[in-house]
Amino acid sequence: MRIIGPDELIFGVDNVDASRTFLTDYGLADVGDGTFEALDGTAVTIRARDDASLPPALETGSMLRRTVWGVEDQASLDAIEAELSKDREVVKANGQLLCKDDAGFEIGFQLTRRRALDLPAELINSPGAKPGRAMNEVGVDQDAEAKPRTLSHIVYFVPDMDAMANFYIDRLKFVVTDKFTNTGPFLRPQANNDHHVLFMIQTSPYMQGLEHLAFHMQGPTELMLAGSRMVQKGYESFWGPGRHKFGSNWFWYFNSPLGTHVEYDADMDHHDGDWIHREGPMGPEQAQVFLFEHVEKWAPGGPPPGKGGGKPA
Amino acid sequence: MSWEPRELTEPLCRVEDLPDARSVGFDPLGEGRDTMFVVRKGAQVHAWRNLCPHYDRARMAWKKNEFLNGDHSRIMCAAHGALFRIEDGVCEIGPCIGARLTPVPVDIRGGALWIVGPYAPGFRR
Repeated sequence: MRIIGPDELIFGVDNVDASRTFLTDYGLADVGDGTFEALDGTAVTIRARDDASLPPALETGSMLRRTVWGVEDQASLDAIEAELSKDREVVKANGQLLCKDDAGFEIGFQLTRRRALDLPAELINSPGAKPGRAMNEVGVDQDAEAKPRTLSHIVYFVPDMDAMANFYIDRLKFVVTDKFTNTGPFLRPQANNDHHVLFMIQTSPYMQGLEHLAFHMQGPTELMLAGSRMVQKGYESFWGPGRHKFGSNWFWYFNSPLGTHVEYDADMDHHDGDWIHREGPMGPEQAQVFLFEHVEKWAPGGPPPGKGGGKPA
Repeated sequence: MSWEPRELTEPLCRVEDLPDARSVGFDPLGEGRDTMFVVRKGAQVHAWRNLCPHYDRARMAWKKNEFLNGDHSRIMCAAHGALFRIEDGVCEIGPCIGARLTPVPVDIRGGALWIVGPYAPGFRR
C-alpha cells in the first residue's frame, strides 16, 4: 500500500479568525475555503466547530476532525478500500475513502494532493567538504522567506497504543522505525522514507486527540528564522528550538488556537526496509540531543550595566 | 536573578486597565515570559499561574495575553485545548479534566491589583 503521509488535517475550531491568522503567520498560504497550504499543497483546513460539513467531533474536546492520508496510486486506494471494508464501513465520496481507525479517529484516503517540489536544501560550507555555496554567496538573509514545504507528521494521544499501532502496521502496512517504551512507536508508511509521519502517545481515554502536527522546513536556519518570527509576533513557544534524537529532526513547537501544538521541523532521517528500530525510555534525555530557548537579540560590547554608562569620571 | 519566591513591592496593574472578560498575562519577576495571567469579570479579578496541569510547566496561551477560548467563556490551554472555568480554574473538558489551575492570591487595594504573599518564579530552567 503506497501511502505517502498526511495530505490534509481538518479542524473544527472555536476561533476561526485567530486560527486563520495563526496559520498564515506560521507560513501557510490561504488558498480559500478555510484551507492553508504548504508549498507542496499539503494543508490544514479549518472550519467553525459547528460547521455541518465536518465529521463528528471526539468527546474529548479535540478540535481535529479528520486526517486525510495521501496515497500514490489508484491501486493503493483500491487495496485500502478492500482491506478496511472487511470490518468497518468505508464511505466513498469525492474521490476519497472515509472511515474511522481503531482508536475512533476519523480518517480519509485520497490520491495525493502533493505537488512535486524542486527546491534547494540549506547549503552549508564545511571544512574538508566541497563548499555548499558558490563563492561570494552569503548564507544569511534576514528577510528570506521561510515557508513550510510539506506536512511532515502528526502525533496522536490514544487510549490504546497497541490497538492503534497495530491498525496502521497490520492493516495499512506502516513500519516501526523507533519506539519509546510504553509510550508509542514512530511509524513510516510504505511510500515515504521519512523517519516518521505518525507517532502516538498512550494516554487516558479523556485525553484522546492531537498532540501536534508538524511541517518540514528547508533546514535548521529556516526553522530558526520562522520560529523567531513567530516569537516576535507574540506567539507562545512551547518547546524548542532543539534537535530530536529519534528522527534527528530539528524542532520548534508552538501553542496554537487550534488546540494543538504546531511544530516546525527540519532535516529528518530517511530510512528504508534495512533499518532495525531502536527502543528507549521516553524522557528529557531521549527526547532531544539538545534544547535551546529563544531570548531577545543581544550583542557584546559597551560597559556592563550600572557602571557609569561608559562616561569617564 | 534569585530563584527564591519573593514579595513584590509593586502592584501588577490598575484594575481599571484590565479589559472586561479578557485575559492579560503578567511576568511579575521579570523572567522574560508571562508566568501568570488574570481575567477580569466585572469587579472580580481571577488570577492563575501560567501552568497547565496536563504537562509539567506547560505554558498556556497561544499568543501574548490570549488565554481564553473563542467566545471568552473559558480559559483554554492552547497546547491541547483543555478548557477551564474562569471562576475556579477547574478543567471541564480536555486532557486534564477535573484538575485545577494554580491560583495566584491577589488583592485589590486603592484600585490596584496586588499579589498577596511571596511569588515563586515560573520559568523553566
